[in-house]
Amino acid sequence: MKRKTALILSSVLLVLLAIGGCNGGADDLAPAEVREYEGENLSSINDFRENSIKGPQYVDINDYQLQITGLVESPQSYGYDEVISLFPSYKKVVTLYCVEGWDVTILWEGVLVDDLLAAADPMPEARIAIFHAYDGYTTSLFLDYITDNNILMAYKMNEVTLPAARGFPFALVAESKWGYKWIKWITEIELSDDEDYQGYWESRGYSDSGDLDESFFD
Amino acid sequence: MMNRLRLARKIIQWLLLAVAVFLLITGLGITYYGAVETISFGLLTKNLSHQIHTAPGLWIFFVVLLALHIFLPFIGRKKN
Repeated sequence: MKRKTALILSSVLLVLLAIGGCNGGADDLAPAEVREYEGENLSSINDFRENSIKGPQYVDINDYQLQITGLVESPQSYGYDEVISLFPSYKKVVTLYCVEGWDVTILWEGVLVDDLLAAADPMPEARIAIFHAYDGYTTSLFLDYITDNNILMAYKMNEVTLPAARGFPFALVAESKWGYKWIKWITEIELSDDEDYQGYWESRGYSDSGDLDESFFD
Repeated sequence: MMNRLRLARKIIQWLLLAVAVFLLITGLGITYYGAVETISFGLLTKNLSHQIHTAPGLWIFFVVLLALHIFLPFIGRKKN
């Protein structure tokens, strides 16, 4: 009888292990991606692990508008093409470190968040930018950090347009921050003076600063 | 003496199984947080899973149990 119980428990353990081992990896997304940039090896855009709160979002680009709201003198609204054509683009290789333990080094191309915000004329009391996503996810970053680090809002990775699973149309490249700060499917950037604002994971016990050199627990 | 040893082995076996399953569930609570949170009626959140799963004390306990589980059967074994 005891042997039977042990066998059943072992089987349950094996099934759980099998489930744990199934990575749920994404399908091949873009064969044309570059894997090396200026001598630096890059990860593949398929090397990410899907862990968004509601799964990949499929944004209809014809209806898409990026809103710049909150403590700004002139709120703005841009279509996808407008963002790309109105603001200068930049490239940089940045590594995303996920709290789950994996990381990816990618060549990102996008516009400076600082440029987007400057066009909306931020009020002097604005301290943080709250990023809103299509799936309801939110996170925030201090404006000083965004300016000092030339933070990008990317529309390309490894020379390929961001796939839906990676945040099309725009994803944040929050370098030197844990992965949960790298918000995908950005729809709105809201400026605020509420320095204690907590985004989706931050309100669930993860660090507000999200700095890589600190623990990701509060 | 032999009976006590047998009892100790049994306790270690079951404790090891319990800790292994616990580590597995908390691990899944990090990567499959949605499912685990639902199954646990919201008790095992991603953050809590993460904190438990990465707690050094739990891993030390697991390694000690594993070592005992491996080596205890050799203790008290009669030589032919």
